[in-house]
Amino acid sequence: MTDTNDQPPYIDLKGIRKGYRIGAEMVSIFSSLDLAIAGGEFVAIMGPSGSGKSTLLNMLAGIDGPDGGQLRIGGKRLDQMGESARSAWRAHNMGIVFQFYNLLPMLTAAENVELPLLLKPLSARERRIRTEKVLDLVGLAGREKQYPTLMSGGQQQRVGIARAIVSDPGLLLCDEPTGDLDRKSADEILAMLGFLNKEMGKTIVMVTHDPQAARHASRTLHLDKGEFVEERSAA
Amino acid sequence: MTFFRLAWRNAWRKPLRTLLLVVCVTVAFLIYGLTASFLAGSQGAAGGSDDILGVMSAAGRSTPMPQAMMARIASTPGVATVTYTTRLRGFVGVEKNVVSLTATDPAALLAINGRELGLTAELVGSLGAARDRVLVGRALADAQGWTVGQHVAITAFRMARQDGGRDWRFEIAGIFEGGNASTDTYFMIGRYDYINTARARDKDTVDAFILRPRDGVSTSELVARIDAAFANSASPTRTQSEKQFLEAFLRQYADVGLIIDLVVGASFTTLLLIVVNTMVFAIRERTFEIGLLKTLGVSRRRILSLVLGETLLIFLVGGILGLALARLGSGIAGPTLGLVLSLLVLAKALALILGLGLATGALPAANAMRTPVTAAFRTR
Repeated sequence: MTDTNDQPPYIDLKGIRKGYRIGAEMVSIFSSLDLAIAGGEFVAIMGPSGSGKSTLLNMLAGIDGPDGGQLRIGGKRLDQMGESARSAWRAHNMGIVFQFYNLLPMLTAAENVELPLLLKPLSARERRIRTEKVLDLVGLAGREKQYPTLMSGGQQQRVGIARAIVSDPGLLLCDEPTGDLDRKSADEILAMLGFLNKEMGKTIVMVTHDPQAARHASRTLHLDKGEFVEERSAA
Repeated sequence: MTFFRLAWRNAWRKPLRTLLLVVCVTVAFLIYGLTASFLAGSQGAAGGSDDILGVMSAAGRSTPMPQAMMARIASTPGVATVTYTTRLRGFVGVEKNVVSLTATDPAALLAINGRELGLTAELVGSLGAARDRVLVGRALADAQGWTVGQHVAITAFRMARQDGGRDWRFEIAGIFEGGNASTDTYFMIGRYDYINTARARDKDTVDAFILRPRDGVSTSELVARIDAAFANSASPTRTQSEKQFLEAFLRQYADVGLIIDLVVGASFTTLLLIVVNTMVFAIRERTFEIGLLKTLGVSRRRILSLVLGETLLIFLVGGILGLALARLGSGIAGPTLGLVLSLLVLAKALALILGLGLATGALPAANAMRTPVTAAFRTR
């Protein structure tokens, strides 16, 4: 799968191999996966369970490595980085939005959002200003001190998005971001992702089962048995 | 928000569990503080001096020696000053209220041991007005509620008066404070000439000679010289430093140091097992969140620090609380039980707090650090 631009792809996977050992048996997920995503694209990845969506997302996030092939994001070879280097890379270049929000329950909304900023050389004041700014951006101004357990699913996901973008990463990975939300909240979250893509230039890769969610993306890739079988671009 | 705050919040996520852990650590360090205070205090041998030697009968502490031996001891090369003591043990009111009086030449005692006991020339001078006057140690005076000028009676266990009675009456001339907090002041100092004249038996004998060596003289050589001088006499001697004497005295009952080490060791081992077990489970419960932190870019080293910080916090809160209670306890019961929570004890306790905090956090922290993110995410 390749993008249509002449620019070098922002995300560039070539001949990716990945498998897992289950007991004595080696189960192959990808035998030779290619993928190219341009900077600023909003790509949805769909596919049935077990097709390799989560494995692909984990590799793009640098929390799992390929067994072979090249995995390049923003010109950096993630497949050649050690765990510490990938951690540092994640802290500065990528944000993740999870299906179940994954907020820390003992921290307030603002503290959850501020977490990634602790890894940056910023003063407490700078961290607070950036946190308030992104919470305002996702429509949660005034709810800084609220705990996640007292928020609705849609609000929690907004906090999750705010946490993902607070360090201003170029890449946003979304793992079923609307999977736990009602239609209305899901549409609000998808609109927000669209805004981040169009207005703020974020490259977004979203794994989803929801065709309506996928329609918000500029390109949809269908993954099945470790291969892309279909590609559809938005009209 | 800081990583310290994050560790603090994590530590108090389950308040009851954390509270119980803190109580556990508090009790352990209370035990440590009190036992270490005991060893550092006058009830232990640490309060004894290596510079003051005691000469006793080789036949045993209760075997009297002729007072005349003092001239020969005083003339032994290396001896600066020497005096003699006889101990009168008895009780006040009820038999369990045991007190003791050291009968001596107070002026000579001032020269030998005055600084350590907190004796002054004025205090010693106040004994001169009457032979039945005594100086009372601060701990004893406080425990009995005695004041200067008061007349007290001691019923001796063994030492009878010439009239057949065993009641000895004294007038309190002053109170000595002790040179420092670890000095044993639970006794009285009286005049030997009064006791010696009034007692029915063992006249002109003493229980021990106390001496201070000249500067630069090896105490071990002096000990050997004195004991050798009396080896073939009617009263062979056994000379020891005050510290050795106290150690030997305590060992009559048991090896107190060893018992204390065992008690503290057992309590710390139990504590370590409880905290490690609890922390391993507490961290295992949060495996998913640790994976999440790693996904956000938190490094393995920082994860390690977070978990270690959490156990350290529990140990610091509990340990400091335990030491504060031990300080309170030694402040209240110190004078009677000889407890001294010195700076050295506190420094050792602080080192233990840090060491145990890191040791107990090491296993859960290493587990958290090693867990791959993908494995962590599978735990939800």
